Amino acid sequence: MKRVLIALSLGASVLLAACGGSSVSNNPSTGGPTVVPPAAQLTGAGATFPKPFYDAANFAYNKKFSQVTINYGGGGSGAGISQLTKKTVDYGASDVPLSAKEAAPMGGTDKVVQIASTLGTVSMAYNLDGVADGQLKLTGDTIAGIFLGKITKWNDPALAADNSGVRLPTQDIHVIHRSDGSGTTYIFTDYLSSVSADWKAKTGGPGKSISWPLGDGAQGNAGVATRITQTPGAIGYVELAYVLQTKMKQAALKNRDGTFVIPTAAGATAAAKQFVGTSPSQFSIVNAPGKDSAPISGYSWIILYKDQADKTKGTALVDYLYWLTTAEGQQYAVNLHYAALPSSMASFDLLALKDVTSGGSALLSVS
Amino acid sequence: MSKGTAERVAPPPLVATSRQRRLVDGDRVFLAIAYGAAALILLIAGIFIIALFIPALPAITTFGLGFFVSRTWDPVRIQFGALPAIYGTLVTSAIALVIAFPIGLGAALFLAEDARLRFLRGPLSFAIELLAGIPSVVIGLWAFFILTPLMRDNVDPFLNHTLGFLPLFQGSPSGYGFLTAGVVLAIMVLPIMIALSRDVIRAVPRALREGSLALGATNAETIWSVILPYARVGITGAVLLSLGRALGETIAVTMVIGNRPQITTSLFASGYTLPSVIANEFTEAVGDVYLGSLFYLGVVLVLITIAVNVLARLLVWRFTGSETASA
Amino acid sequence: MSHPLIRSMVDRLVAGLIVLCVSVAAVPVLVLLLFVLINGLPGMLTPGFFTDPPYPQGVPGGGVLNAIIGTFEIVGIGSLLAVPVGALIGIFLSEYGRNQIGNTVRFISDVFTGLPSIAFGIFGYTVVVLTTHHFSALSASVALAVLMLPVILRATETALVLVPNSLREAGLALGAPRWRVTLEIVVPAALGGIVTGALLAMARAAGETAPLLFTAFGNDIIQTNPLQPMGALSLTIFRNALVPYPNLQQQAWAAALLLVALVAATNILARIYVRRIQR
Repeated sequence: MKRVLIALSLGASVLLAACGGSSVSNNPSTGGPTVVPPAAQLTGAGATFPKPFYDAANFAYNKKFSQVTINYGGGGSGAGISQLTKKTVDYGASDVPLSAKEAAPMGGTDKVVQIASTLGTVSMAYNLDGVADGQLKLTGDTIAGIFLGKITKWNDPALAADNSGVRLPTQDIHVIHRSDGSGTTYIFTDYLSSVSADWKAKTGGPGKSISWPLGDGAQGNAGVATRITQTPGAIGYVELAYVLQTKMKQAALKNRDGTFVIPTAAGATAAAKQFVGTSPSQFSIVNAPGKDSAPISGYSWIILYKDQADKTKGTALVDYLYWLTTAEGQQYAVNLHYAALPSSMASFDLLALKDVTSGGSALLSVS
Repeated sequence: MSKGTAERVAPPPLVATSRQRRLVDGDRVFLAIAYGAAALILLIAGIFIIALFIPALPAITTFGLGFFVSRTWDPVRIQFGALPAIYGTLVTSAIALVIAFPIGLGAALFLAEDARLRFLRGPLSFAIELLAGIPSVVIGLWAFFILTPLMRDNVDPFLNHTLGFLPLFQGSPSGYGFLTAGVVLAIMVLPIMIALSRDVIRAVPRALREGSLALGATNAETIWSVILPYARVGITGAVLLSLGRALGETIAVTMVIGNRPQITTSLFASGYTLPSVIANEFTEAVGDVYLGSLFYLGVVLVLITIAVNVLARLLVWRFTGSETASA
Repeated sequence: MSHPLIRSMVDRLVAGLIVLCVSVAAVPVLVLLLFVLINGLPGMLTPGFFTDPPYPQGVPGGGVLNAIIGTFEIVGIGSLLAVPVGALIGIFLSEYGRNQIGNTVRFISDVFTGLPSIAFGIFGYTVVVLTTHHFSALSASVALAVLMLPVILRATETALVLVPNSLREAGLALGAPRWRVTLEIVVPAALGGIVTGALLAMARAAGETAPLLFTAFGNDIIQTNPLQPMGALSLTIFRNALVPYPNLQQQAWAAALLLVALVAATNILARIYVRRIQR
């Protein structure tokens, strides 16, 4: 009987694969299903916050399933949303889910599916001679002061107050921020708005592109990281993966509980745990309580249309995205010091992906 | 086939035979194709104008001509003004010309004149042609990694020390900004400046030059009193063409400008130019007004560039009497 | 200003200034090429540079094969579009274009030559990317074709104008129709100039970045389908300069060296071809 069943399911998978669908078999190592996608070339754009993870994962996925290639172009969360609106890419990536205004040209939030792809945290990276990695201590107030232009020199008394025992030089502070529409900027300004009423009043609250009081703009997390490494006295906000990969110095940040923590993936996980029921409409996890929480943490999201015009491409897309949220895909995030998706978010993602249809029928063949 | 042998051959009949009619048809076909090709470029130009103008309309109707004098560039509040980008474009181009004009003119005088050290003329010409052929992104790469630290650590502090009483050279340099972008632009327009000036100076009649020397004037006096005044119009054209090139340069400038839409007197500060804004923000602009503003900037840029180029070519052609070497 | 000694001193001073200008003018290109050579050579000699696409961080090796294929394919398709059309228009201008239409075409061509390169990117984006809902190498080729068109056009016209009229008259006198004279006598005589113009236009197009930013989009995977996004050497250089990873920065320098070498080779090729033709 078992042999008949296996033969039948194998036959069904062959049929499905022939129709451009995916085939499902049991993956002995993870215990979960392995979905084999149909051949397709996928294009995505958007957030640079998770780009190192996406690059590594896409490379591995292509090695595993050579019939699928994924071209992720980065460009910033703003570009991801913009290009998805114009339908020039198959999926957009953004650290911030769609606002009502952004969803409107797409037909509204019920016409799109938004899944959380990873969990990360933002570091304050700096380039200072004589101050070692992790030695500099920053609070919400001092960060706001620096980015508002109130604190202009490194040996400002406000900084010295938190950093007794550290020799802060008399250099000018060079503020670096993003020049492109950035979800990382949103997470950062979300944090500053919640800890500094002054910041919120001066800049109007969180945003992907804001009117910066001062500082130079660079493109992408990578651009900010490069600029900081090249400019003595510079400071900027960069996702943790970039900081660790390039061995930049980062500051210890004071979280809501008053502890100074150095941003790590564990800190991001701790912060995320403090919030229940995270969803595209309730996504902020900055300034989380908890003594281990990294204060400037956030999820990153992937957005796609609920109704996929091209059935084969749509199937490959959901298969790939499903894989990304499983342990096998998430390992590439963990390797790069992102935090693995909490199981609650992974379940949320699975449910969301099941909603993706083409011509009326659901595309994901996972129960 | 020998020419000139007096072979009496019957001239082709004046009445069109069927063979001649076919030949004439061939001519007509070819003519149609040729005119068709010409029409194609007119069509492309037309599509170009439409592709640039129509998407800009939402911004044109929203901001009108106030766009040119508004200093705000705020994607969040959907308030856009072109003034910071225009300012940055003009400042960097001005710096480029201030640097490139004297150097270019001097080098052109060397190349055009019957001067000593003639053996250097060939290599110098070759070097300048090489520079003209180097892609903009390679110059940008070099500027980003090599020029920027040089400016930040050496040139800018020096200028701050010596000329720091001028608001132009105040402020703390990061290596990116108006001045560095201006230097990069200067390097890029140098070949055009030299090539055109050389042609213009060469067009000065030899009689005038030799006459001046014959009257006992030194080389320097001849240059100052005879050649330059005569070539004034042409050189202005050369400067304008260089300006046109500087205005439109996108990539090398984007890599060192600092990406900050602001208007400030310090040349060490970061800024934005019209092409840089478009290059940086095009893929992420959402909404008709935001995207339209970028197209509006593109329209402004194209119109300014066209105006400068047309004016320049008129001046250069009128002076040299013909179309000069390609820019 | 009338004392002879002062005059001769001023003369020497000006001569010295001119030599100074010459030296300063020659410096940038030397410095540029030196740095590109020194910084680019190590990357070029890294195994895998010519044979691998870029790998993500953590995976050793990697190269720019995707960009090399991309540059050749994008410029190739663009040339296929621009060279025939440009040559035809050039022929039109020289043989039939001494009129108002011809002047209009020349004016438009001149305008196009002076446009900022980003305008062609906008053109490619609006006309091809938005209508096909796809970033693609084709849209980049279209943008570059419009960029190359005026150059090829002008070079063709100039080359044809230089062909002595006696050749045309001899052909016509022998009874050949105008079109045959043009195609079989005049154009071959001007071929050196036309080919040079085409090669120089291609070299320029290969170095362009701005038109590719929002048309070709870039692609880290080796891609040959022109309907898909594609990488290019200029894009690799631009993007890798802005990332903090030393191995990618090294690839940027090496790609720059490669690009400069390609452009130089094309220029030299054009020169050799002209000299051969002239013999």
